[in-house]
Amino acid sequence: MRKEKTKVKKDKFETFKNVFFALKIINKCAPRMLVAQMSVQISFWFFTGFVKDVLFLKVLLDLITSGGTFKEYVLLVLLLVASELMATAINCFSDYYASVKWKTFYKKLNDMIFQKAVAVDMGCYENPEFYDKYKRATEIITEDHVAMFAWQFSNIIAGSLTGIFLVGYVISIDPKILLILVVSVFVLFFQSIKGKIDVKKDKEMTPHKRSKDYVKRTVYLREYSKDMRTSDIFGVMHSRFKNAIEHNREIIKKYGWKIAFFETMSGFFGKALPVAVTYIYAAFRFIVKKDLKVSDFSVIMTAMSNLKDVFNDVGDAVADVRKEAEYFGNLKAFFEFPTTVINGTRQADELESLEFKNVCFTYPGADSRSLTDVNLKIEKGETVAVVGKNGAGKTTFVKLLLRFYDCDSGEILYNGINIKEYDIESLRKRFATVFQDYKVFALTIGENVLCREVLGDDDRVIVDRALRSSGANTCVEKLPQKAETVLTREFDEKGTGLSGGEQQKIAVARMFAKDFDLAVLDEPSSALDPVAEYKMYESLVDATKEKTVIYISHRLSSAVLSDKVFVFDGGTISESGTHRELMERDGEYCEMFTLQASNYKKGGEGEQQ
Amino acid sequence: MKKLKNKAKTTHSTISNIFYMLKVMFKISPVLVVGEIIQHIFSTLPGRLVSVIGLKFIIDEVEKGGDSSKMVLGIVLMVAVIVFGEVSTSVFFELFVHREREKLDYGIQSMFYKKAASLDLQKYDDPEYYADFILSIENSSNSIRYVVSMVKGYIGEIVSFLTIAGVIFSIDPISLLIVLGFVVAFIPMGRYTGNLQLKRREQITEKHRKGDYFARVFYLPDYAGEIRTNGIFPLLRKRFNESADEVVNTQKRFAGKLDKLFFIQDFSIQAIGFVLVLGIYIGYKTIVTGEMSMGDFVATFNGATLIGGSILYLTVYSVRGFTEQSKMIEKCRSFLSEKEKIKDGGHIAECNEPQVISLNNVSFSYEGNENDSLNGVSLEIKPYEKVALVGYNGAGKTTLTNLLLRLYDVKAGEIKIGDRDIRDETVESHRNRFAAVFQDFQIFSASVGENVALSKNFDEQRVLKALEDAGFDKELPDGVNTVLLREFDDNGMMLSGGEQQKIAIARAFYKKCPYVILDEPSANLDPVSEYELNHAMMTKAEDKTVVFISHRLSTTKNADRIFMMENGRIIESGTHDELMALGGKYAEMFNMQAEKYNA
Repeated sequence: MRKEKTKVKKDKFETFKNVFFALKIINKCAPRMLVAQMSVQISFWFFTGFVKDVLFLKVLLDLITSGGTFKEYVLLVLLLVASELMATAINCFSDYYASVKWKTFYKKLNDMIFQKAVAVDMGCYENPEFYDKYKRATEIITEDHVAMFAWQFSNIIAGSLTGIFLVGYVISIDPKILLILVVSVFVLFFQSIKGKIDVKKDKEMTPHKRSKDYVKRTVYLREYSKDMRTSDIFGVMHSRFKNAIEHNREIIKKYGWKIAFFETMSGFFGKALPVAVTYIYAAFRFIVKKDLKVSDFSVIMTAMSNLKDVFNDVGDAVADVRKEAEYFGNLKAFFEFPTTVINGTRQADELESLEFKNVCFTYPGADSRSLTDVNLKIEKGETVAVVGKNGAGKTTFVKLLLRFYDCDSGEILYNGINIKEYDIESLRKRFATVFQDYKVFALTIGENVLCREVLGDDDRVIVDRALRSSGANTCVEKLPQKAETVLTREFDEKGTGLSGGEQQKIAVARMFAKDFDLAVLDEPSSALDPVAEYKMYESLVDATKEKTVIYISHRLSSAVLSDKVFVFDGGTISESGTHRELMERDGEYCEMFTLQASNYKKGGEGEQQ
Repeated sequence: MKKLKNKAKTTHSTISNIFYMLKVMFKISPVLVVGEIIQHIFSTLPGRLVSVIGLKFIIDEVEKGGDSSKMVLGIVLMVAVIVFGEVSTSVFFELFVHREREKLDYGIQSMFYKKAASLDLQKYDDPEYYADFILSIENSSNSIRYVVSMVKGYIGEIVSFLTIAGVIFSIDPISLLIVLGFVVAFIPMGRYTGNLQLKRREQITEKHRKGDYFARVFYLPDYAGEIRTNGIFPLLRKRFNESADEVVNTQKRFAGKLDKLFFIQDFSIQAIGFVLVLGIYIGYKTIVTGEMSMGDFVATFNGATLIGGSILYLTVYSVRGFTEQSKMIEKCRSFLSEKEKIKDGGHIAECNEPQVISLNNVSFSYEGNENDSLNGVSLEIKPYEKVALVGYNGAGKTTLTNLLLRLYDVKAGEIKIGDRDIRDETVESHRNRFAAVFQDFQIFSASVGENVALSKNFDEQRVLKALEDAGFDKELPDGVNTVLLREFDDNGMMLSGGEQQKIAIARAFYKKCPYVILDEPSANLDPVSEYELNHAMMTKAEDKTVVFISHRLSTTKNADRIFMMENGRIIESGTHDELMALGGKYAEMFNMQAEKYNA
């Protein structure tokens, strides 16, 4: 019981913190945007809700009833026009200012997010918690949560201000009305109970919402389209969707009466009752006791009606701000997400040697170790093949080398010094990496190869040479704009969509364009046909003659020519040596190689039954 | 230019679109549609009426010194209506609307899902159709139900406008004339600003596309490694900032213009029209001529503001909203009415013993591609044969299997199974004869059993057997009910690429069907698993016809027959030994791969 209470309290505090954070970040990315947004809201609410509907109505009515002249009346009307002119001018100008600032916010916040995204550990991307935060953080921008937050926050301020003036004015006519209005304090009580139930309800519905989203993704995304058509999996997904809907309906039903009750109570005490009693009271004084002026009566009635609207809108605004604050909470958590891979200060010099000493590593959240006591040394100029079964730890080895993760124990030495001491960027600059899941960007081919802007002819020469080396040139030269062509049709109609194989060649070309010491090639030819693969290997051998190379491949043919072969098995290095040595050893490597080679042996013994 | 192609052939008017959607929703939940509209009127109109007609009634009665019991009755009535409006809202929403909306969601989404799942695959290949329709429908089909909110707002304003205009008219027709005069005079300008807003939205969305792309690149895990290692960050950041600046500038340009127009509009209608002209007119009538009573004055003064609001809503705000919704609905309509080119035949294919598969002079080209992907291919696959398709990237191997599955239909020639053209079968019964493992197979966030059977109902023993045959040896904590991936279940099992591939291969072993298609089944497998898979394929699938595609010629070596493809044609075919003896392209390719192993 007690625990629950402190938790709720913390949550409440949390909302305020998040709102505060939201204000801070908005102010940082788009200074004065909130001020502008508020003045939009205030100029509108305050003017129509109070100045015009209440203040001027009263003055005009008083003038008429007290037998004022038409000339005086016209003067008052002119004054009203003048104040309306002012209000409209402020409103329009602030609106202009705020809407431009919104877009600045879009720019600045994205930029901040990018910087954080690049700075966090690579491992974070595999951490569902982080990823969820990231997703929600981006939703702030894409789903216009900022706009909503700023708008509703301003509504709270503008509405409250107008509300205070309305109440003040009504009380100045008859202080007793204050007593009636006090009843509305109950609103807070009922609303807070309702809010808690809402949160509970939302939490219960969250998994079903996730489920709905997932189904949607599988139905619409291209990746799933073939499986959807050739199997009954659509039925599985559709029934999952139906299930989620049914659960949601159950949950809504379960909480329906409760929420409706508290909502009704808060509506009744907060709005209906005070307004109704005030109406009756004012009518009583006006009609029966006849001690209320026409103007006062009208003003009370109008003011109360406006006050009701203010209550409604501010109530909605508070609920929305609360909801929006949660998104900002996620943004905050995203920005504060701890980085465990800490940058060093040492600049990495040219590679002399690379050594793994007793390296152990377990993925966060995993039960078992991915690497156990890995020891290996690579000298400058060596070509090394890393082979092994699926899940043996080859890719993990690369990830540690690139400092996507840090090892749990043991150390990795670059030129004899622990890699943790190096500046990560300077270290990664020494490497050229081609990943199994290479990616190309919606930039020009040249930019994709250079990974920076193509400036001048020198750069173009580098690009051309790199494309030729990777074998991408035959395809690129067929394009009308050659290496200036933008990849993907993401946002350029003249862009081009390349096949997987061609994309891979472009990704590999990056390596040829880069000045590096150590090449890390993780299955660089998986999407290539044998001939393209053969050619690429030739160029790779050529380009890396003087360099250090780590090859990771299932195709053991790559191991034959390397200086050293490391065989990974179950997270450790089970064998190492040259191809010849390992074949003589007749161990795991020999077995794998023989299996793979058996089918290639000329007139080989074959496996056919 | 190309955009035009995707714009629906027949565009419907905004009204037709809104009605269409309302009708769809009405069918799913009639009570929701009608109920929301009525409820909305209930919760907005009474308050407005009080400030116009209620006030007038009481003030006039008091001035006349009328019957106070009548007045009290009036007040009580007003109060009752307001209280009812307030209380009914929450009860109605919490007990009814939210639940009905889920139902509506289900109805609408199911409609779209079914369509998406049966859409020709060709539509997915067309990047513009994919982005303009499929993805945009994914993003916005949720918002379609807001049509109801807009319609109820619209109807509410019409009712409010008519009622209040009626009251003002009964007080003094000229007042109403002044109000309407100003409002009508500014309708063209309102329309103009409305269009300008739409244009702004369009342009900004266009500019956003670029910026959003970069945001996505940073967000997707696939790119994270690339960005960290190749130093492309500054370039991406620069490009993003450039496109974001374009967004800011576009906004500046439009917002500047728009806010000037808003100023003129608001000031003219509200200040000049309602306050100055109408204000002086009713002041004159009240003070100088005395034709208007005090109640009349208050009612007209308050009523003018309300009418102004209603008109603004009806002519400007809602027009913008409706036009946008209508565009979305148009998209959905044309999506839903999309005709499939892959049509059912009249016959239901039987799913028993394999028969001869024959291709006669088959040609095919993908939409928008000038070159044929397949060019006069003829071949025959005998029952129980294990056939391999090999060749360069883009030679047409995957296209051929796509045609076999009728994911596309041939442009020329025919494909027969037994004596029957596959187009004579119903699509479902035809595909049901095949088990297919694609290059880009997907693992679903569902149980292992569901993933292998690709169906809700699965036979536990057979699933386990299929997994075993596929060489899947990872321990399953909950057996076939172990959930894969962590989409919903934080304890879901994560699989390596090779393990995922084994699950996919198990699908082929599980499905009771005569034909199996495997596209690069061993791409992610290590040598040992690859070897085992090959072995399993030959022995465990002996009662099936198997067609497999691979780049690794060692995989295909043991096939009964190998088809070597190049540029959409079959250039060589035969057993491995025959092809090697032929000394053609196949032999060249094989030797290239074998070279290192023979070293």
